[in-house]
Amino acid sequence: MKPDNQPHPAPSDREEPARVNRRDFLSSAMAAGLAATGAGAAGKASARQAADNAQAPGALPPTAAQEAMESEIPHGYSADQAREYFVRNPGSDFMLDVIRRLGLEYIATNPGSSFRGLQESIVNYGGNQAPELLTCVHEEQAAAMAHGYYKVSGKPMGVLCHGTVGLQHASMAVYNAWCDRAPMILLAGNHLEATERRAGVEWSHSAQDCVRVIRDYIKWDDMPLSLQHYAESMARALKIAMTPPAGPVAVVLDGHLQEAEAGNQRLSLFSVSVNQPPTGNEAAVAEAARWLLEAESPVIVADLMARDQEGVERLVALAEALQAPVVNQFGRMNFPNTHYLSQGSTAVAQADVVLGLELFDVWGVINTVRDRVHRDSVRKARPDARVISIGSNDLFTKSNYQNFQRFYPSDLSIAGDAQATLPMLTDAVLSGMRPARRATNAAREARWREAHSLARAQALDEARYGWNASPVSTARLYAELWNVVKDRDWALVSDDGAQSRWARRLWPIDRHYQYIGRSGGAGLGYGAPAAIGAALAHRAEGRFAVNVQKDGDLMYTPGAFWTAAYHRIPLLTVTHNNQGYHQEFMHLQRMAARRQRGIDSSWRVGNELRNPDIDFSRMAGAMGVWGEGPITDPDDLGPALARAAEVVDGGEPAFVDVRCQPR
Amino acid sequence: MSAFSRIAQSPGLAVPVLLLWTLGWALASAEEPADDVRKGRALYVSQQCWQCHGHEGQGGVAGNRIAPTRYPYEAFARLVRFTNLMPAYSPKVLSDEQLRLIYAYVRSMPEPPPLEEIPELDFD
Ligand code: HEC
Ligand SMILES: Cc1ncc(C[n+]2csc(CCOP(=O)(O)OP(=O)(O)O)c2C)c(N)n1
Ligand SMILES: [Mg+2]
Repeated sequence: MKPDNQPHPAPSDREEPARVNRRDFLSSAMAAGLAATGAGAAGKASARQAADNAQAPGALPPTAAQEAMESEIPHGYSADQAREYFVRNPGSDFMLDVIRRLGLEYIATNPGSSFRGLQESIVNYGGNQAPELLTCVHEEQAAAMAHGYYKVSGKPMGVLCHGTVGLQHASMAVYNAWCDRAPMILLAGNHLEATERRAGVEWSHSAQDCVRVIRDYIKWDDMPLSLQHYAESMARALKIAMTPPAGPVAVVLDGHLQEAEAGNQRLSLFSVSVNQPPTGNEAAVAEAARWLLEAESPVIVADLMARDQEGVERLVALAEALQAPVVNQFGRMNFPNTHYLSQGSTAVAQADVVLGLELFDVWGVINTVRDRVHRDSVRKARPDARVISIGSNDLFTKSNYQNFQRFYPSDLSIAGDAQATLPMLTDAVLSGMRPARRATNAAREARWREAHSLARAQALDEARYGWNASPVSTARLYAELWNVVKDRDWALVSDDGAQSRWARRLWPIDRHYQYIGRSGGAGLGYGAPAAIGAALAHRAEGRFAVNVQKDGDLMYTPGAFWTAAYHRIPLLTVTHNNQGYHQEFMHLQRMAARRQRGIDSSWRVGNELRNPDIDFSRMAGAMGVWGEGPITDPDDLGPALARAAEVVDGGEPAFVDVRCQPR
Repeated sequence: MSAFSRIAQSPGLAVPVLLLWTLGWALASAEEPADDVRKGRALYVSQQCWQCHGHEGQGGVAGNRIAPTRYPYEAFARLVRFTNLMPAYSPKVLSDEQLRLIYAYVRSMPEPPPLEEIPELDFD
């Protein structure tokens, strides 16, 4: 069994004295804060960056001559005049040093004067490199980009915006990230000191407590009043954001603090040792192993579990040890669907022990509510099934928003990070397995192999129905897309829930990065920007990213296309264009049927996106993205996708609009 | 979930539906009059069956595949009026005659091409 190989950080929270305006010195001495932060590729890039920096010539402290030059009064100015006009050591340079020290590689932003100081530091002092600014045309898109980026890279992105109007715009995307346990660091500009505010807009763009609008769905925030306070709060913010359950955090950047002369204060930077994910209690894990070993038919259900390929492999090890099926709920890519132990959710119905791993909704795995006049709940699992849950849900939660789902009294509840706990559990299973139990494994394996190949055959058979339909069937959409991606190092950066889960049913998915789960809070507008954020992370690895994009969702955040074109982020976007808010058609129909009113023509009202039909490919083109469509004849789809893929291979985004069946 | 297990989960329906299903199986292959099929198609659209079952009855996450149908009319009609997860269509919004026409349309839907004729589905 492999140990939990989170990359090992620098010794904990090391403090290091520094003086402001030692620009070269500071930037080159920067350690790889984020090398410590977790998943997969996360460590590599920042570690590399730290090594590069260590080589840089500027790694020496500044000489007296340099210092004198810097304090020089510009020619022709008196000292008083110079103080009036110029700032030698703006606070935001130090703020940037802190950000670099923490290892944030990207900051998604929509510009605003409340952080003009930091913007200038990033572009001039920092040379717009690590962190690099990503220009977004809406703060919601900036936050959603950070969300998608994290799920692939394992690294948090900064999101820099106005504390007032910017956070207001960002809020729904922050909520999605909160529900989906995706960390990001929101950097919110604000002017607290009233007598320093410029008249007019700066007052409208200031708040006593600007983070309040999002505080119900972030883990932590602070409003530092000094540069040292800021450095400490940023380090704390990163730690809290990355500790499971991970989530967004916010730090307010006071405008005055950014712009004012920092002088010669002694300030300290921190290398953050990010917390190792907590493992479950050992005795409880041993008990869980006993239950699983005793079970006739144990079933594992995993949702927001695997952070990286290591997590996938750990789950494979446990499943194989038990020969127990895994129901992957695909909140993350937890388990290869090519593995014979990968089974559909109906496997839960026959389980005597259910092991839930980082479930978004434990109750919903065991029960369901029927959408009828009386919302009765029905138990899906056997009445005698025992439930073990391992997860970090209870380690941090908040009260107002109800994304924590209905309470389920699990029979054995283990608070801890499931990926980190799996090796302990698998060891306990292997060491507790008696020969008689081991002897049953062959029969268990045979059973699940058969079920798996049956399900595979069924999926292929079902995909035939509606094959030649126009609008294009969702099965055909994914089958045609597969032809494009199969010989490339591909990654899907969208969720296939609205397309009848055809990616999961048809595509062989065995790498963690090939599937990134869903939006979390089901807040629309997530699709395009999150896909672009994810594609940015894939770009660094040379992967071919694909986004299957719902039409309604796209209309909330279409401007994300411009960001993809501007930053040359290769991504193939293909619409699942059913010309409307299809989910809502179905709700309206349910209401009308229940009230026996019929729905002959009223179904369109409030729901359709037609007349005028949206010309998505022209919309993409208008923002600099290569586009084709709408495709209505399924036979035209393959060739269009092939043309688009060539564009993506060339390093640019491309778009194909496909009119599709509703689901 | 298969139709069988779903029906079996609604105790009141299991016996009559299964009986009708078996009895009706032999009848369910006759040709439908073209005019009925045309009217049925229009009703399939206006009654929103396509929303959950797809324009070709191919099904998906929102409703299962209903075409080509394996049911005799009586079983089909029962499944539309007395449902589990699907909204129930009462005769007030969908008359027996309309339902029969929809059935005619659903029955007329052809089998899709066999797997061997779809190279895009040759995954393995
Ligand atoms: C809002 C979604 C929705 C709409 C609209 C809808 N259905 Fe369904 N239908 C379902 C679901 C879900 C099922 C699965 C069975 C159940 O839970 O009732 C189903 C099941 C069925 C079945 C049984 C299939 C089987 O093999 O068990 C038939 C037949 C059927 N629907 C016909 C129709 C017809 C005809 C219409 C239009 C008059 C229609 N449905 C409209 C959602 C819908
Ligand atoms: C911000 C937001 N507004 C409204 C909704 C309600 N809603 C849920 S699904 C849906 C329809 C979405 O349409 P589309 O993205 O095209 O997906 P489709 O259901 O058509 O496949 C709507 C409006 C939501 N989830 N989020
Ligand atoms: Mg839509």
